[in-house]
Amino acid sequence: MRRRTLLASAAASAAILPGRARAANEIKIGMPMALSGPGALYGQPITKGAEMCVAEINAAGGLLGRKLILLPRDSKGNADESVRVSRELILKDNVDFIVGSFTSAESPAVSTIAKENKVLMVAPTAKTIQLTSPANLHPYIFRTASTTDIEGRTAATLMAKWDVKRVATIAPDYAYGRDIMEAFSVLLKKLKPGVEIVDQQWPKLGQADFAPFITAQMSKQPDAVFGAVFAGDFASLVKQAKPLGYFDKIGNRYIGAGETGSIEMTRSLGTDYPVGIVANTYDPVIWPDAPEVHKKFTAAIKTHLKDDYGSSWAIMGYAGVQALAAGIKKAATIDADKVSKAMIGLTFETPIGPQIIRGKDQSANRGQFWGKLVRTAAHPFPVFEKVEYTDPTPFMD
Amino acid sequence: MSRRIPWTLVVLLLALTIPWFGSRYYTFLATQIAILSLFAVSYNLLLGTTGLVSFGHAAYFGLGAYATGLLMKELNVPFLLALLAGGLLPAAFAGVFGYFCVRLTKIYFSMLTLAFAQIVWAICFQWNEVTGGDQGISAIPYPELGWIGAIPGLGGFRTGDHFYFACVVLVILCIWVLGRITDSPFGRLLTTIRENPERASFIGVDVRRYELAAFAIAGGFAGVSGALFGIFNRGVFADFMFWPKSAEVLIMTILGGMNYFWGPVAGTIMMVVLNQQITSYTEYWPLVLGTILLVLLFAFPGGLMGALDAGAKRLRGQKTGGGDA
Amino acid sequence: MAAEFLFSQFLSGLTTAIFLFLVASGLSLVFGVLRVLNFAHGTFYMLGAYLAWQTMAWLAPTKEGFWLAALAAATGIAILGFVVERLMFRHLYGKEELYQLLFTYALVLILGDAAKILWGTGQLSVSRPPSVEGSLSVFGALLPGYNLFVMVLGFAIAIGFWVILQRTSAGRMIRAAAMDREMLGSLGANVGVLYTGVFVVSSFLAGLSGALVSPIKAIVPGMDVEIIVEAFIVVVIGGLGSFWGTFLGALIYGQVLSFGILIFPRFSIFSVFALMAVILIVRPWGLLGRPLK
Repeated sequence: MRRRTLLASAAASAAILPGRARAANEIKIGMPMALSGPGALYGQPITKGAEMCVAEINAAGGLLGRKLILLPRDSKGNADESVRVSRELILKDNVDFIVGSFTSAESPAVSTIAKENKVLMVAPTAKTIQLTSPANLHPYIFRTASTTDIEGRTAATLMAKWDVKRVATIAPDYAYGRDIMEAFSVLLKKLKPGVEIVDQQWPKLGQADFAPFITAQMSKQPDAVFGAVFAGDFASLVKQAKPLGYFDKIGNRYIGAGETGSIEMTRSLGTDYPVGIVANTYDPVIWPDAPEVHKKFTAAIKTHLKDDYGSSWAIMGYAGVQALAAGIKKAATIDADKVSKAMIGLTFETPIGPQIIRGKDQSANRGQFWGKLVRTAAHPFPVFEKVEYTDPTPFMD
Repeated sequence: MSRRIPWTLVVLLLALTIPWFGSRYYTFLATQIAILSLFAVSYNLLLGTTGLVSFGHAAYFGLGAYATGLLMKELNVPFLLALLAGGLLPAAFAGVFGYFCVRLTKIYFSMLTLAFAQIVWAICFQWNEVTGGDQGISAIPYPELGWIGAIPGLGGFRTGDHFYFACVVLVILCIWVLGRITDSPFGRLLTTIRENPERASFIGVDVRRYELAAFAIAGGFAGVSGALFGIFNRGVFADFMFWPKSAEVLIMTILGGMNYFWGPVAGTIMMVVLNQQITSYTEYWPLVLGTILLVLLFAFPGGLMGALDAGAKRLRGQKTGGGDA
Repeated sequence: MAAEFLFSQFLSGLTTAIFLFLVASGLSLVFGVLRVLNFAHGTFYMLGAYLAWQTMAWLAPTKEGFWLAALAAATGIAILGFVVERLMFRHLYGKEELYQLLFTYALVLILGDAAKILWGTGQLSVSRPPSVEGSLSVFGALLPGYNLFVMVLGFAIAIGFWVILQRTSAGRMIRAAAMDREMLGSLGANVGVLYTGVFVVSSFLAGLSGALVSPIKAIVPGMDVEIIVEAFIVVVIGGLGSFWGTFLGALIYGQVLSFGILIFPRFSIFSVFALMAVILIVRPWGLLGRPLK
């Protein structure tokens, strides 16, 4: 009996076909992305954005005369799983490139895999500065996302414009939260020497009960707060903080990083959104003076997502593929080393205008839109009072 | 009946043939199966043999991974020495945590194993300076296994294949040791404890001490498998210790059949292969796994091995009229 | 100032505790009678939140419809619980505990994906009903009206349960089942009906707590596993099957989190597990539990 089992198992494992041989007329892009769990909130639209870009390129005749094929895989938003699916994409599906991995924990891990297998990777959303720090930089990693430095320092300059003395912070207790707070505090103290950080709260990622953190923070009587609590956690924070008078007490002087000004957030919170706070987003979506290219993109993504408003995250997947495609086009080959060389200093088009990948850290100069959220008659949810893109260049070093 | 056939050897020889297929993907898959098999077999020393349902076995897997990974990457400790540490450290931790856990029974035991595992996870998640926090430790070096290529007949293989050969030999060695432990008088006492703890203590067995020993041994071997996995995975992450990993090993073990020594191996093969296949087509893997679990619970409670065993018995019954094949 | 602050911190802990108690009470009830920790309880809670949102979407734009939505969600989940118990779970009663546990875990996987298919992965939100929008000041600390409502409800449910357990024949059966299963059969009780009833009531509570939590927490995928771990821990530290133990466990958890973060700012990730480890080491059967046979 036992032998039979083992033989059967051996036969079963032998029956799995390895990836089909690489077809000469296609270019395969693997996309490990959080498609389930809390990260799927963003992972899904990012994947849709990438999908749309691939479809558009193919409709226009492909790249170097070849068809692009996107292979999305669920990374569950964790590093372990992300590494597994990335290696599977490389070994089994023979992908030529990777655009993906979602979090700051996943991306450095996948970057190691990219380096080892000499497969070029574009990280569309990972913000950790570690990803492209000199110690971790290699020819096969590029970033089209913003960074914790850019985000934290932008917030510090915004905070420095306010007449505040006592500043508090609240951020999820992991690398992203700690790095962004570090970047923020250092610059803020430089810009405004008299300021004092009076309180720092560190709820865990996925915290649902914020009341204790809120009352603890309020007891320190801050004038303003910088928060990096994001996604569902931010919604929970707001819903619990508002009736406790948290935002009233600081006169809405709350600066929210982590895309808390995204249309996904404002739509879902609706009238519960704490209007008057300053928050950021990768794409304002509702942008009266948008350039033509953005208008076109927004119209297309609405159709693609079958959604009346679209998404602020789709652009990240879309632009990630755009950067890679521009690199392949410039190199006129899919050879990873040549594409890598072509991508350094590359200017590529995105829906918010051209961006440049600089050589120093192989990252695009991706800033974000920051502004005050207000209620208007035109929409049932808050929108930016004035849509303003912050140029990240001064904050990148 | 199976005494006569040296199963361990058969599995070893079969497993060693994989790299000859020449596919990096096969070797990748087989390495994963080999390493996780050891994790599952070590778990079954608790579940199937001793009857202890641990919800925190991943902690020891992860501790082994961190120990070996850090030693090899930061201190350049030789592979086998680092691997030894990757077994001993988790065994020591399992000894300490186990001391408290085995004083509890049933679900309380399970929950305390979970609590300890989650505390260890939280420490690794937050202790940036040492464990790299949520970003973990990347780029753990492959051990120096170039000498394998010098063995006649083994030339021309890649680093990944060399590592696979080393893994298979080490894993089979560990599984063989676990098999010997299960078959020893000590192992039989563990089975007695599972079946009837009152009787065991009545005949003078110090139940707690035996359970603790099993807990530490299982923890140690889980550590070895974690250590190998960290190298294979090219990185060690706090996720290794998070509770879903403990649920995974429990499911693999039951899926294969916890009443069979090789059951966990069968379960691991099934889980890894299915997972790889299904996640290529759909993101709804949990739905598929949940359905498999339901089918298992209602139709094949003995797991894969149990089902095959029953099938084989029926087949023999029809052909030879119930005679012993 | 200091006293006021400590009091408001206490109120925050109490709020956390009561919401957790609402979830954990159903879990504790099922464990007491069926002797299985129901992993799917968290998923029922999540589905309750989604159902509440869905009902609100249908009832829009009347925000006061929340009360109806909460009741509808709880009822919907109770029906789901009935179906699950009658069609599947009851066939596993004779089998090993481990298999029952695994069954509930399979439900987590299947129903979690079902929710993803039905409602997507976006973040949903339900507004507080206007009738409890305001906040009132208690000894200088602010207590939101909605939280006060849930607190009152939580205490009412606790007392209601206590009355049912002490004064009714169903309550006696539940207590008997919690103490000794064999005795229950010999009492001539209709065990099948009791089991179904308990499972349905527990599902109702899960659905209700999910709906009630939706105005103060985001509805997101993954909220099921987040809550179930916490609920398990509360039930375990209180003592499995002990109703007041669960209540006590929730109260302690709320205060440990609330005051723990004042002393150790990076404590929240450890809080529940540290608490559970300490309590189980000191009292192996939980605070008010009895040794399991």
